[in-house]
Amino acid sequence: MTDQSPTAKLRMMKLIRAFEEALAARPDHGFQLISSGEEAVAVGLCSSLAPQDQLLTGGRSIGPAIARGVDPSRLMAELLGRSSGTNKGKGGRGHIADPASGFFGAHAVVGGNISIAAGVALALQMSGKDAVAAILFGDGAFGAGALHETLNIAASMKLPLLFVCNNNQLSVSTPRSLALAPARLSDIGIAFGIPSQTVDGMDLDAVSAAISSALAHVRAKKGPAFVECISYRFASHSTTARETRSREELAEIRALCPIVKQSRKLKEAGALSEAAELELGRSVAGAVEAALKFADASAMPREEEALQDVI
Amino acid sequence: MLYKISVPQVADVEEIRVLEWHREAGEAVEKGDLLVELETHKAIVEVRAGQKGFLRKILAESGNWQAIGLPLAVLSESESDPVPEDAQALTDLPVDFEIT
Amino acid sequence: MSSKPAAAVQKMFFREAIARAMREEMRDNPNILILGQDVGRFGGSYREFDGLFEEFGADRVRDMPVAEAAMVGVGVGAAAAGLRPLVSITYMDFMMLGFDPLINYGAKLRYKTGGQLTAPVVVKTTAGAKGQGVAHSQCIEAWLMSVPGLRVVVPATPADAYGLLKTALRSDGPVVYVDHKRLFPVAGEVPIEEVAVPFGSARICRPGTDLTITSHSFMVRTALEAAKLLEKDGLSAEVIDLRSLAPLDMKTIVDSVGRTGRLLTLEEGQITTGVGAEVVTRVIEHLGPIRFARVGALPAPISSNRVLEAACLPDAGRVAAAARLLQSPKKLVSSC
Repeated sequence: MTDQSPTAKLRMMKLIRAFEEALAARPDHGFQLISSGEEAVAVGLCSSLAPQDQLLTGGRSIGPAIARGVDPSRLMAELLGRSSGTNKGKGGRGHIADPASGFFGAHAVVGGNISIAAGVALALQMSGKDAVAAILFGDGAFGAGALHETLNIAASMKLPLLFVCNNNQLSVSTPRSLALAPARLSDIGIAFGIPSQTVDGMDLDAVSAAISSALAHVRAKKGPAFVECISYRFASHSTTARETRSREELAEIRALCPIVKQSRKLKEAGALSEAAELELGRSVAGAVEAALKFADASAMPREEEALQDVI
Repeated sequence: MLYKISVPQVADVEEIRVLEWHREAGEAVEKGDLLVELETHKAIVEVRAGQKGFLRKILAESGNWQAIGLPLAVLSESESDPVPEDAQALTDLPVDFEIT
Repeated sequence: MSSKPAAAVQKMFFREAIARAMREEMRDNPNILILGQDVGRFGGSYREFDGLFEEFGADRVRDMPVAEAAMVGVGVGAAAAGLRPLVSITYMDFMMLGFDPLINYGAKLRYKTGGQLTAPVVVKTTAGAKGQGVAHSQCIEAWLMSVPGLRVVVPATPADAYGLLKTALRSDGPVVYVDHKRLFPVAGEVPIEEVAVPFGSARICRPGTDLTITSHSFMVRTALEAAKLLEKDGLSAEVIDLRSLAPLDMKTIVDSVGRTGRLLTLEEGQITTGVGAEVVTRVIEHLGPIRFARVGALPAPISSNRVLEAACLPDAGRVAAAARLLQSPKKLVSSC
């Protein structure tokens, strides 16, 4: 995101919401992980990253990819399997990659991208470039050995790596309290001497502030930092996963919408008018429509492409 | 009496490279003198004379290779015993070796 | 044949050939670095990295904690981001811990990103049984042959340890380089000229006429011993050192079996879905039915117990016995 004004950030959250809703509404949406409700985490994180930084994520990649600046049209094409997509249609949501935009890539193995991100950080460190790597993962990955091994290595090698745990408190059907011993996931930093904090992931400004301060530590070559964002996802884990929460619970969760919160905040501060917000909505709808149009006009890969780029 | 100095039976070793001779042909050696350093794939082996005598002929020079059990040099008790062509038939000189 | 001056060679230990390849490539390319346990001042468990820490420093020869999954991931990720790491896994048994980053990410990276990224990482590991017990003895290279996107090479001599490692460090995708515990005491001649050995190239190390024995890694030495035994029975065995498992050099193998008519595959790993299973199948696809036998370890974990380990591993005697059975006009035999 080059424009980090509050309005631009709000627009970005709205874009993510609208994009994912449009995708989920299609009959050919495929297997998707939607991040509705978690937009403040994606935008709060990405608006603090510099162009030369690299972001890696797990499988809930669409929101972060959009926030990082991946072209929504090429992203939609990839999600719908078109060869004009970011990955030539071969990766899909689980593996979206656009390193030229600083989105090094998603990886669909839970926790599987964490040590990879440390490797990217090592390469950045050895290049002498003033760039950092950031790895976004969920509470579902927090129990994985890969995280703990990588925290140790990153701290020991003082890698320029920002760990961002999007704790939406549910791993498919399993609440955090049943799966993970620590109640406060950022406490893991204490074990490895990594500065860590926990913030409200439904509050864009809180996320932005936490990420900024964490990044300052990392950019000063002091080693890794850890930010835990407490959030809620509005939808079930995936487009095939059953919802486990009651209607009442979901209604309470939706009342915490980060977009509504940010919009209200800006309006109360006199920084956003009704008209301006309507315009944002129109702009976002236009971008989503353009993305769908681009994808629908694109071809699926030819069969021969199945054997291309293997080795 | 003539003896041959053979590559010691170091465990897990097939052949060695001769690193450095610490005595020359013609020199007198005492029991315990460091004769030669050998290199195995793992470590360096110091070969020391198990009794006194005269180092008469070096069969494997520095940088050369030799298999375990095969001769490296000929040693004799007296200075002037004629040295045979084929050292393999000679008795092995007792040696002490140390792996460093 | 016109007389050519013999290529200048230098005899060196297996580990020295590895260190030499590393040194040359690291001097040539500043992006190459080593990640592993005890690779720095210690020089590697087999001294295969001797002198590299002194020459290239702690930034390029890094001692890592025991955490194979993350270590392989760091190597793969660093490769994806522009470095050329060599990740050293002391025992092949523990490569399994790194399968997720190597196979699910590294081997699939070029494909899954539509060609945007690739991971030029070398995972170097030591296989084989040598008295260290059930979890420190395995040869599992056959498991890796079928992974699309992964190359697998298996030097059996110091010359190939040197030449294949140079090629590995110049490859544009992930390579698994497997040597063997019992190869380290071996010394052999290595060309003085700095020349790499290409992948997908097998070597006939003993020409013969009556049967073809294909093998790789330490078992090539066992195959050559067996060939000497068979010579006494008047049987001439052609021994092929595969050197490269993925890709396999089918041309050399098919040409050989086309001449000899019989194929015996030998490996230290298991024959079930082993290297031999693949070699035999592909040869039959090319030549039609041929007489064949596969020899490998017994289907049991390899104990550190001296007696049991020896009972499980192929030796020249077992190989020669299987080869003699192949010559008999009676039924095809698939032996252990």
